[in-house]
Amino acid sequence: MRIASESNAGTRNPDGLPESLDAKVRLQYEVEQFLYEEAALLDERRFAEWLDLLTDDIHYWMPIRRTTTAKDTENEFTEIGQMAFFDDDKELLTARVRKMAVGYAWSEDPPSRTRHFVTNVRLIAMHGDDITVEANFHLYRTRLESEEDGWRGRRQDVLRRVGSQFRLAKRHIYLEQTVLLSPNLSNIF
Amino acid sequence: MKNEKWREETGLRAVEKARSPSDFIDVEHGLVDRKIFTDEAIYKDELKRIFGRAWNFMCHESQLPEVGSFFMNYIGEDQVIAVRDREGVIQVLINTCPHRGNTVCRAEQGKTRSFMCAYHGWNFDLNGDLIGVPGLDEFYRGGLKREEWGISKAAKVQSYKGFVFATLDPQSPDLDDYLGWVGKLGLDLMGTDRELVAVPGVQKNRIRCNWKLAVDNLFDWYHPKISHASAIRSGFFDEKLLYPADQMVMLGEYGHAVSGPKITMAEEEALAALSDSERRAVFDSLPGQSWRFTESAAETLGPVGIKSRGHPNIFPNLWVSTGGTQLCLRVPRGPAVTELWWFTFVDKNAPEEQKRKVVRMATHFFGPAGLLEQDDGENWNHSTRTCRETMTSSRRPLNFAMGKGQDMVEVDPSGQSRVETVINEHAQLWLYRSWADWMEAEDWPALIANHAAEPRGRI
Repeated sequence: MRIASESNAGTRNPDGLPESLDAKVRLQYEVEQFLYEEAALLDERRFAEWLDLLTDDIHYWMPIRRTTTAKDTENEFTEIGQMAFFDDDKELLTARVRKMAVGYAWSEDPPSRTRHFVTNVRLIAMHGDDITVEANFHLYRTRLESEEDGWRGRRQDVLRRVGSQFRLAKRHIYLEQTVLLSPNLSNIF
Repeated sequence: MKNEKWREETGLRAVEKARSPSDFIDVEHGLVDRKIFTDEAIYKDELKRIFGRAWNFMCHESQLPEVGSFFMNYIGEDQVIAVRDREGVIQVLINTCPHRGNTVCRAEQGKTRSFMCAYHGWNFDLNGDLIGVPGLDEFYRGGLKREEWGISKAAKVQSYKGFVFATLDPQSPDLDDYLGWVGKLGLDLMGTDRELVAVPGVQKNRIRCNWKLAVDNLFDWYHPKISHASAIRSGFFDEKLLYPADQMVMLGEYGHAVSGPKITMAEEEALAALSDSERRAVFDSLPGQSWRFTESAAETLGPVGIKSRGHPNIFPNLWVSTGGTQLCLRVPRGPAVTELWWFTFVDKNAPEEQKRKVVRMATHFFGPAGLLEQDDGENWNHSTRTCRETMTSSRRPLNFAMGKGQDMVEVDPSGQSRVETVINEHAQLWLYRSWADWMEAEDWPALIANHAAEPRGRI
């Protein structure tokens, strides 16, 4: 989908987002359409096309969440550089996709049946070409006869304007689970 | 033929008659009855006879840096809290209030001044003493002796080189004796002359399998070429690294073992031909491995141990993994559910770039999203599931006979013994044989008297 160029956005708020409702609505629409199209690519297992949506400097990261007391919630998630479930750059994401394509990738053969739900999309800030977007997600997976897993949480993405299109420059995934209740994480969030 | 005979003798009827755990393990033919992977009664017995008596891994001392730092773990299915008390001593408290049984701690880690039960407010000091009881005078009126109602604790807590273990059984031997040379070698393979610190973040995830299948897999160098074929074919791992021909197995008392690749003669010669700095460069290219090329490593690991690149298991469920940078605990959560807990370590004094490499490698290889591990869980799940089925499959024992009767245990002048061979299942069979010893023994003195000695000669 083609998106409006930055110059069309008009005057800005301190968070860098457009001031006028029309411009905001348009931007919200464009961002949502990008996220929905992206989710559809993943559910249709068009992973190579999904890779094309990523910038070369993407950071795809899922920290570990921990059960802490209320006064210790600043330590709930691990930080960048500490242990994580995912801490991937483009090379590693490309390897994940290649791994699924070479055959014998048993965790995805037979393939998982997935459905991505993306909701509560909020524009957080816009700086230069980068738009920070937060959304809730539910990734549902079923495999084989009756295996069932589901992950819910929050994503913080950065969408970058590249020419007339968005590219995904950051995806940080915050799960609600502390002990991961699934046997693996072989799907893309 | 042997297999057929076994079925005749110990088919469904015989299994139902079996009274003794050793009836499930046919050491001579390398066969293991499937029932031990699913049976509820056997599992409950394991919690008492194995986890209730063994030295269980709790955490690393670096995870408890200050007075009041705590980390929650399990002994079998009993939740326990490892905590540093006011004297700086690490205590292991059973997470249950002696009043109504409620847990006294709900966070998996953190720092606290005391543990207060959220039900009625009984408050426990870091060493487990009961220090506060609401209404002690008004309601109990002298009828409750606080000193008798402290929280239950592990019988013994001891560390080996910073790794903290606890046992619930006061009769157990000390940790050093329990580990023996193979268990100690296993932990020594985490590195010598290194100041290890745990990297924040323990990856925990749940696999629908019996805990023993997850443990036996860590010795399994037969599966990578198939289970992890996609990681190899996509160019992420060298096939030779995952399917090494030269193998070495060390089997220790009480079920500890180290099994896996051995540094080959050719590799040794190639390394010997390099200068010191070149050698270091080779090991530095493997993150966290440069310590292996030191004199202290040679001294600590011994002439046999230094050649091992295998996977140790500290019986029952602690895998020393990834060349001394990770530990993986297989936590039983029911006969058909196991949690994998990955602990990752760096040398505090290593260059930052080295530490980053270790963390990245740990994230990308293992853990639920790891390019290797993501393909393991379903196999273990299905192995467990089919053992639950009632007809043909459950009558037929599983085959752990690879290499059985074909190898020799050699003893080095240093006293270290090992089998040098090709890919094999000696360590797995040793695991199940030791499992039967633990399950048969009524108590620690019986286990000490009746466990299999380190094998010698043909194996």
